[in-house]
Formats: sequence, structure tokens, C-alpha cells
Amino acid sequence: MNPLLLLKVHRGAAAVLAVLALSATLLVGALPRTFERSYDEALHGVLTGTAATLKDLTITAPAGFVGQLSTEQEFAAGDRHFREVLPPALAAVLDRGPGSHDHYGAKTTGTPVAGRLGPGQRPYQYVDLAWLSGMDRRIRYVAGSPPGPPRSTSARLPGSPDVQDLTLFEVALPEQASKMMGIPIGTTLVLGNSSPSLAKVTGLYAPLDRRDPYWDHNHDTIVVTARRVPGSDAEEHHITAFTSRESLTALNEARSLDYRWVLGVDGAAVTARNAPDVIQGLTDYLRALVTDTDGPVRYNAQVGVAPYRLNTALSDVLKGFLDRLTTAQTLLILILGGLITVAVGVLALAVQLLAERMRAALALARARGASLGRIVLAGTGVVAIALVPAVLAGYGLAFLVPGPVTPIVHIGPLLITLVALAFAAARLATSHRKPLHDRRDDVVARRPSPRRVALEALVVVLALAGAYLLRTRGLTTQTLRQGADPFLMFVPAALTLAAALITLRCYPYPLRLVVWAAARARAAVPFVGLTLAARAQAVTALPVLILLPALTVSVYGATVSGALDSTQRVAAWQATGAAARVESAAELPADLVERVRAVPGVRTLVPADKGNAQIGLGGKTATVIAMDLDAYRRILSGTPLSAPPPPAGPSAPAIPALVSPDLSTLTTFELGWHVRMKVTKAGIIRGGLPGVSFATSNLIVVPYDASKRAGFRTYANMLLIDGDGIDGAKLRAAVGDRPDVLVWTFDESLRKVTGTPLTGTIMTGFRVVTMALAGYALLTVIIALIIGAADRARALSYLRTLGLSERQAASLTVLEISPLILLTAVAGLLLGLALPSALGSAIDLRAYAGDLAVSDTGFGLTAPILLAAGLAAVSVLGAFLHAGFGARRSLGSVLRVGE
Amino acid sequence: MNTSGAVNAPRPLDGAGDAPTLSELEAQAGRAQPAFGEHAHILCDNLVRIYKTEGVEVVALQGLDLLIEKGELIAIVGASGSGKSTLLNVLSGLDVPTAGIARVAGTDLLAMTAKDRLRYRREVVGFIWQQTARNLLPYLTARENVRLPMRLAGNKARVAHADELLDLLGVAYCADRRPSEMSGGEQQRVAIAVALANSPQVILADEPTGELDSDNSEQVFAALRRANRELGVTAVIVTHDALVSEQVDRTVGIRDGRTSSETLRRASSDGEIIAEEYAVLDRVGRLQLPRDFTSALDMERRVRLELERDHIGVWPDRPKTGEDE
Repeated sequence: MNPLLLLKVHRGAAAVLAVLALSATLLVGALPRTFERSYDEALHGVLTGTAATLKDLTITAPAGFVGQLSTEQEFAAGDRHFREVLPPALAAVLDRGPGSHDHYGAKTTGTPVAGRLGPGQRPYQYVDLAWLSGMDRRIRYVAGSPPGPPRSTSARLPGSPDVQDLTLFEVALPEQASKMMGIPIGTTLVLGNSSPSLAKVTGLYAPLDRRDPYWDHNHDTIVVTARRVPGSDAEEHHITAFTSRESLTALNEARSLDYRWVLGVDGAAVTARNAPDVIQGLTDYLRALVTDTDGPVRYNAQVGVAPYRLNTALSDVLKGFLDRLTTAQTLLILILGGLITVAVGVLALAVQLLAERMRAALALARARGASLGRIVLAGTGVVAIALVPAVLAGYGLAFLVPGPVTPIVHIGPLLITLVALAFAAARLATSHRKPLHDRRDDVVARRPSPRRVALEALVVVLALAGAYLLRTRGLTTQTLRQGADPFLMFVPAALTLAAALITLRCYPYPLRLVVWAAARARAAVPFVGLTLAARAQAVTALPVLILLPALTVSVYGATVSGALDSTQRVAAWQATGAAARVESAAELPADLVERVRAVPGVRTLVPADKGNAQIGLGGKTATVIAMDLDAYRRILSGTPLSAPPPPAGPSAPAIPALVSPDLSTLTTFELGWHVRMKVTKAGIIRGGLPGVSFATSNLIVVPYDASKRAGFRTYANMLLIDGDGIDGAKLRAAVGDRPDVLVWTFDESLRKVTGTPLTGTIMTGFRVVTMALAGYALLTVIIALIIGAADRARALSYLRTLGLSERQAASLTVLEISPLILLTAVAGLLLGLALPSALGSAIDLRAYAGDLAVSDTGFGLTAPILLAAGLAAVSVLGAFLHAGFGARRSLGSVLRVGE
Repeated sequence: MNTSGAVNAPRPLDGAGDAPTLSELEAQAGRAQPAFGEHAHILCDNLVRIYKTEGVEVVALQGLDLLIEKGELIAIVGASGSGKSTLLNVLSGLDVPTAGIARVAGTDLLAMTAKDRLRYRREVVGFIWQQTARNLLPYLTARENVRLPMRLAGNKARVAHADELLDLLGVAYCADRRPSEMSGGEQQRVAIAVALANSPQVILADEPTGELDSDNSEQVFAALRRANRELGVTAVIVTHDALVSEQVDRTVGIRDGRTSSETLRRASSDGEIIAEEYAVLDRVGRLQLPRDFTSALDMERRVRLELERDHIGVWPDRPKTGEDE
């Protein structure tokens, strides 16, 4: 038995197998890489958007407790030490590049300027001193010279003539601070009220590159911080001055002094995969630092205070990202798992096709004295020769897709190969175990053994119990540490298997009803076709096991993305309130309103007035909105937002009002707003007015002309705009690009919600997988039909000798397979729709939907039903295609086959 | 040749003699008796094959008895569904009987392990199916097809032996042709060569001429007979073809899963072939009367038997009218 010869003879089936293996390997190899890459991109997006102060590791040690560092060497030794004790996971993500902004230094905090030697006294000024490594390289002096070493001075402080031996530090200031705080070169400042020292400004500098992350850490050295003095109109100004390295010897705990080492983190080195390790590393590092006694600062065990503090928000940033990532990963693993299952299933079907094609030759060889081992070896050899090169090619091609390599990229193809070969071997072994050439299928029909029925019942019970447990117990929260909950993977798989078993076991029953009806009709084709389908001779369990997960995963994907999409839209509508909204704290002038009205795309404007008003004469205030609810309801039609009808209260000049439930005890009350007005409660507004105000309590809605009715005039500080294709930029231009006028458009809000990292990945993942599954569903039906083609052709040919037309023969084939497809589609649809409920608590999509809970009920059924119908139609199309090609063979040739 | 019903009868009928005493019976049981068909090359004794379908049992063989001597060439005939193919499948080791005894060349077909079965198919039997296309792999040449069983059996696949066989069967010129380039008769003759490849002791042919015209049938049957005569192979041919069944020495008829009749042919003194049809009497004394006979005399349900000196008389169950004989 030469496998190569067999392969050559059955090259068609082998080619199908090879193509399927190639595509499956490519999908299994490429999709996880793409997903991982997008996770990384999302993480890099997050880290790039995070300030260096948050993501870098800053180790600080207060000089007060732990002695003094007076030379740069001591700092450098400290830097080396801190790097040595870094956990490996953390060391791997440090920025070691030439552009690294790592540095160390000493900084005082909150040093007040007590006065100046000489003229020009200014109050409320704070000048801290800092020496930071690498700072001299990042600045240029615009005036004066760099600061020199400190020296003792005999100068006397005005007002404190008894203070002697003052230290004079030479410092440089940023140019902006010098101007703003009025400290020209040459000024000598008295720093500190107790233990004062002197600082003489020798130079002014400007940063070379303001965007250097270095300045994130040391923003205080280039920009003056202005703070309002509590209880006063005055501002206090803070700046940190740069002093010389030699000043370290004189900087001591007399000032509030901190030593700091900044270890820059390379955002690109942190990936979705090493992030959990980095978080763990941070925890370990913190623990190591608390008890670190070998560090640069002499730790005083008696004081018992941790010598160092680790300042970084990296852990929180990563945790936030990982929470979001877990959801995305879970979803993608679910659909990827479904895809792999289906791909392997179709591959198994192709193996079966090849095995069926080889059956005659192998059976003859078996009958002529080939041992079972030999048959299995030869058949599996053919499968291997067809499969392995294709798998290798797919594996290689997957490397063309950019993205990090995860173990699944290697394991996936190996698994596919092993499963396909094992299936081939098992299939060949079982079908050739007994050498009888003519299996008497006509007289021997197998009944399911009680053992098998019990096993199937067990699977169904386990699946249901699993789903129940998943709903009641929820998932482990230790996903960061333990990875995705295996239970979450088990339950959908078990449910799908259970549904497939139930479908297989039960599908003849509804069909028999239809057959019963068809038997009474005049046409013969439906009766014969459906009878064949009910006898289920043509199809095996495999197509059901493939089609069902395909449908389930597609429907689940459609359901989730549909729910996500609609929730995102709701979130965007709630953020905007209309197609666009213009809002300002102050009144919007009439000409601005007219300009907004003229913006292209604007159809209707509903002006509104929102503000806080005093209720009665007490201290209680409420959010008051004056708007024409009728007009607002008109522009809300067709959106997910709703507004209550206007209060049907007394007509003008009385002012009816809708109040939130907490104010429902009020009946007639006064409002102190633009003008005092008396309003009458005319209804309750529940749930607030999303889009206009987030307040759901302390909310009062009055007619737009309420102020006018009260004898004043109407106000408008908000415009709710209806229209199509309103351009945010044009709207902003129309309001004059004023920073105090806020402009939202629905499209921008939606983009903001959908632009969340990973959202695109999830949606693309769903789309790609659904398309791949549709392709597989089509192939499944075609291959399943081709496997039984010879038998069917013979059966049909007999019927054709009885007068069946070619067209009737084709429809017979379609009718034979359609019930299975349709019933599987229904089962898949139901399961796909049920999965979100079954997994509801486990997959939290809130992060992707503008923090609105994505409900698992109330989403549209249209998309999933259309999808299931589409997939079913594609599968039936496969039957049509097959029937169309099959009809071309001549009757004579078919009837002679094997007879 | 032990082919007549008389030999099949276990013991001579005791007639109306005295009943044996208990001690006589014991002594009789203790005596060593020759086993049924001890020396036969193919032995089927009370062979039963039942296919189970949903709650219904189809009994394909219902206690079939058959004895075939070494080197015999016999034909098995019977209506469609009578169990011929099942018998052949059992004999070729492709199917396992449900009960009874089946022994071919000393091999018990009911007690074979998978390994024995494989050896049996490799060394003991060769077979030929009706469908010419089924016997040969379409993409191998005639010579390669003949060598295939040798290679499968792990024998050295000698090209010379394959060519000898093809030559013996008169298809040496087809050695390098593929089945599609041969006529049906040539294909069947190559198939016989394939069946003979491992020098089996028995060849079994299931309607080998069923798809052939009379010229080709003649050639194929001649090839089978040559194999039988020259190689000494026992040949069992299931056939509908009168051309075949009328040329063998013995034709066994099967009806409803039992051997029902045997036709023996011998040449008379003037060279004419004389065919005599016998009914088969099984080991427990059952006999199938031909349907023509029973319907001619309107025999139903029961008959009356009378033992005469040299025969048994069978009468319809009617009140005796007196001088029936």
C-alpha cells in the first residue's frame, strides 16, 4: 500500500484536506497574534497617554530620618542598588535606551521665601532647591551662568541680625519664573523661616525640549505653580530652583529634603502578557524596599520608619487595563475556541472524505490479507502527507502576520495535526476492523445502546449544572493571577455539546410530523426527501457537531456586539442629549444662536436653560431646567432617549413644573432663579433627563418661558440641536471657538465611546470569526454531501428511472439536508441567544459601553436571527450547489457504479 | 465421494425394532464415532447466521450443512436472498457465523482470533467478486494487482510468479494494463490470478461471470477450471449462470438458508453427461421435498411415511383409499 499512490489517486479530496488544514492553521496561528498585537497596542495607547510620573518608578527617601547624601557617587550607588534589587519582571520593562529619562537627585519641598537681601520684597513666594542628575543637559541658559558651589557668608539677615554662618546657595531659575515672580539675576533670596539659608540667582534657563518625560517628573523646575491662598484673593507662587552638584554637601535636613531616584519605565516593553508579572514585581519591589537595609541611605532600625517610598501608579494603570483586557480576552477566547472547534471539525470531515474515497482500495487490501495496522498506517500516511505540508505552510504564513508569538501559535497547529491524524487513524481502524466488504447497512441498523443514552444524558445534565453554577457562583476574581476561569470555557463548550446531542437525538421527531403531513400531500418529492431526512442515513453526527458551534458562536457574537453597539449608542446619546448640544455656563447670545442655526445640517434648535436655583427661602437648591419638552420630544423621536411630556398644569402665567421623586412632597413653591417665581408641581419626572442633566434627584423641569411668565425674559444657556451630519468643528467655529462654550455632537460622543482601546479588536474579532464560520458552514454541508454522494446518486438514479426529473432530484437532495440545517440553525440560534444570559455575570462589558451596564436582555433579535438565517441559507446553498453538479452525471454511468 | 443423502444420515433407522436398553445406549455413547465430515476440506454443519435489525432477526443461514472434498469444483445455486453470498462471506472469513460449525482446510472459522483470520485470508482462501471493478484496484496494472496480496502477506512479491499466474489464466498480455484497459472477461481472469496469488487451498467466486457475455463467461469459467485442475485448488462458485452450473461435477442448491438439493453429473458410458438431482437429508433426518412434488400431490402440513425394504414412501395426509401403491 503506497500512500503516495493513494494520494495521487485521491488528489481531489487530499487537496480539500490540505486547503482546510492550511486555512485552519493560518487562522489559529494568525488570529491570536493579531489579538495579542491589538492588546499590546491598546496597552501602549494607555501607557503613552499616561504621564511619566504615573508610570515611572520614583523612589523617595526623606533626608530627615536617614542621614545625608552629599556626593553624586552616593546617589549613583543608590541607583545601582535599586536596580540590583529589582525583581526580574520589573527590570525587564525599565527604559534602558539612550533617550532614557532616568535620574536621581535631591529636592526640598515647601521652602518659603522669607525675604530678600536688597530691594523688591514680594510675599507668598516659595523657592525650593533641587539638584537633579541630567538636568544640566536638558536646559540652556538664556541669561547668566550656571550655579556654582555653595559658600558660607557673613551676611546678616534683615530683622534677624543674630543669625550667623549662613549658607549661600547659587541657583538658576527658569526664565518664566524669573519674570513672573520678579526675581532677576543677582537677587539673593532668604529661604526658610527657621534655619534660613540664602539663594543667589546666577542664571536663567529654559528647557531644551519641553516634551521630554524628564520634565513630567520635574515640572516644578520649569513652570511656576500658582495657588490661591485660602481665604484671600492673593496667589502664592511655587518654583524649584536648580542648584549645583556641590550644594548637596550643604543641603541637609534643615530643609524638608527628599532624595529621589527615578527609574523610567519603557511603555513599549510592557505587554499584555507581562503586565501581571509587572504588577506582581511592583508588589515584591515595594516589600523589598520597606525592609531594605543595604541601600544608600543609612536605615535607622530604631526609628522603624520605612526608609523609602515607591511612588508609581503603574500598578493601578495596568490593573485597570487588565480588568478591561480580561473581558476582551474572555470574549475572544470564546469565539476563537468556537472557531478552532469548527475548523477542526471541518478538517475531520475532510479527513472522513478522504477516508471514504480510499475505502474501496483499503477494504480490498484488507480483504486480501492486509493487517489492520497496515491499513491504518497506509490511510493515516496519506492523510499525513496531505496534511503536514499544509499545516507547515499555514504555520509559516502565520508568521507573516505581525504580532507577538504566544504558545497557542505553536500548540494550535500541532494540535490540529494530531487531532486530524488521530481522527483518521481511529476512523480507519473502526471502519476496517471487520474486513467484510459489503456491510449490510440494509439489514443492520444500530440502536443506541443504553450506555450511550446514559452518557449523553450525563453530558446534558453536567452542562446544565455547569451553567447553573456559573450563574450562581460567578467567576473567580483572581483572573489576574489565575488567568481566565476555566469554568467559563467549560460551560459554553459543554452547553454546545449538549445542544448538539439533543439536536441529533431529537431532530427526527419534529420531522416525522412534517413527514406525516407531507405523506398526505400530492407531491412526492417533499415526502420522499423528508422521509430520507427523518431516517438520517445521509448525514452523520459530525456536520451537526460542526454547524451547531458555528451558529452558536456567530449568534453569540452578533448578540454581544449588537448589545454592545446599542449600549454604546445609548451612552453616546446620553452624553449628547440630541444630535448635538451647545452648552455654556453663561447665557448664549442671540447672534450665537443664529450662527449655530446656520451651521450646515442643523434642522431644529431647542433652547434650554439649566441652572441651580434655590427652593423657597431655605438653603435647599435644585437643578432647574427650563425647556420646551414637546419640542425636545420631537427631536428625540427615533433615538434611544426619551423625555416626559410637558406638565399638563395650569396655563400661563402660572408655571407648572415636573419635579424629581424626592421633591414630590412640594406642591406649590417658590424658586429663586433669574427671578423669583412661583411654580406648581404638575407631575413627577423619574430617571432625570439623560443628555440634558445627569441629576435624577433635586431636579425641577419648568416650561422654557418660565422666567418670562414670572415677569422677566427667557434665558438660554443650552442648545439641543437636531440635524444630520453636523460637523463638530463647524459648530465650534460657529460659537467662536470659545473655551467657555462646550460643544458636543453625537458622532463625536459615539467615537469617544467606541474608540475605547480593545473595542475595535472585539468587533473585528467577531466579524472575522463570523465570516470564517460562514465559510466553514458552507464547506461542512458540501463535504458532508460529497461523502454520501455515491450512495445518494445511486438512490436518486433509481428514483429517476421511476420518473423523477433532474430538478426534482436536486430538490430531493436539498430537502434531505435542509431539515437538519434548519433545526441545527434553530438550536444554534437558541443557544447563542441563551449564552449571554448563561455567562451574563461573567463577562462585564461595562468598560466598553461608556460605563453603562450592557444588559443581556432587550437587545434586538433581528441581527442574530438574520445571521442564523443567513448561515442556514449559505449551508442550504451548499446543498443546491452539490445537487446542481450532481445532476450532470448520466443515469447509466451512475447505475452501473458498483453494481 | 460422500455426497448423497444416505451418507449424511447419522445412523441407520432402527425401524420398528425394540427400544435399546439403557446400558446399550451408554455403550453406544461411549464408542468413538467418526466425526461428521472429518475428512472434508470444507465443512459446514448446522451453520446459522443471523442479522439483527431493529427488533427483527433476519436468519440468512438456518442450519446449513455442506461438505466439500479437497480439489472439488462445485457450484452453489439458489434464488436471490437464499443465503448464497452469506455462505461465501462466511467461508472467505469476512463474516462470522452466529452458530454451527464451519471449517475450511482444518481451520475453525468460528474460533479464529483476528490474527488467525488474517492468516486465513492470506494463506487459505482467495476470492473473486461478481463486480469486475471491485476485484482490482483501478490504478494498478494487472501484474501489480496480482503482486498486491503477496506484498500484503509479507511474501516476497515475485514478479515471475505473478506472470506465471497471468500466463496460466491466459491473460499474460494484460500484465502491464490497468483494469480500464481490459475487457470484463480479462479483468475477471486477472482477478482469479489475484485470488491465486498466495497459493490458497480454496478459491471462492461470487457470480464471477455475472457481468459477462457468454464468450467471456466461457473463458472465465475455463480459467477457474484450469486453476482447479492444474493447481489442485478447491473451487466454490456461487452462480446463476447455467453455463457454469451445468459444467461442474456437483451443484448444490440452497433454499431459505439451507442446502436443499444436489445435482451430480457423471459421464455415461456413451460419453453423455447424466445429471441426477438428489434431495439433501440432514443429520437429524430432515428432508426438503421439492415444491413441485408437494404441490402436484397437494401435500400440506403433514404426510404419511412408510418404511419399505429399500425406500421410504411418502403419501399425502388423506384417508387411505385402499390400493395406493
